[in-house]
Amino acid sequence: MDMLLMGLCLGVVGVVFVALAFGAAMRSESWDPVVQPEIPLVKAGAPARFFSNRVPITPAVPPLQVPIEVLLLQIENHVRMEQAAAESFLASPTQTLLHSKTTSPFVN
Amino acid sequence: MTHELLKDLSSAEAGQALKLGTKLIIPSGVSLFRLGDQANRLFLIERGRIRLTLPMQVRGREEDVFVEERSPGQTVGWSALIPPYRFTLAATASLHEAEVIALPREALLQHFSANPAAGYKIALNLAVVIGHRLQLFQTMWLREMQRTVEVHSA
Repeated sequence: MDMLLMGLCLGVVGVVFVALAFGAAMRSESWDPVVQPEIPLVKAGAPARFFSNRVPITPAVPPLQVPIEVLLLQIENHVRMEQAAAESFLASPTQTLLHSKTTSPFVN
Repeated sequence: MTHELLKDLSSAEAGQALKLGTKLIIPSGVSLFRLGDQANRLFLIERGRIRLTLPMQVRGREEDVFVEERSPGQTVGWSALIPPYRFTLAATASLHEAEVIALPREALLQHFSANPAAGYKIALNLAVVIGHRLQLFQTMWLREMQRTVEVHSA
């Protein structure tokens, strides 16, 4: 009878111990959504890349546009340079001069 | 001042042709003619520069885009002698005021009939002006085409 009571007590103590250990383990694994660090989202449209730690994210803001007055001046400079190149070709028509490069930002 | 249109004419012939015209002062930025206007007069530039432009859509707005600039001695508005007698570009005086001699088409044609030798020389000079413009823009067009082909076949 004594042996039976001792075994029962040990069983109860074991169950309590296991329950406490399980409770402690669950507390340490619980997470708080407020303090969880945000994971940066990779845009769905980004091309798949492998073996790279650095996946660039396309900026949401488009590149800055130059003012329209500046753009019109760039067009004018381009036309002037193209005319000068065409004049050079007409003065001495060769295939090299026909396709000579200018410094225009529209072709570079 | 030697005008390209009057090249190889004697001074008497050139003087007679110039007498047909009227001097006009065009203040800076003021239009000499607009795209699509009736072209009844041809202009010889005496002073200043004339800027030729065409409308183009830039960022959804219609803007006058630079095409060419003409200097003293050069000719603008030869559409006045080429059917359907409509200007195919717009012309304005550049940064400074310009002075031009406006030659009416009817007066010129009558002068050519009365003075065929002078008319022949002026017509040849006009062919040089038009031919040069054609060759220039043909070359520019081909250069742009070459770039387009390179971009699309890359």
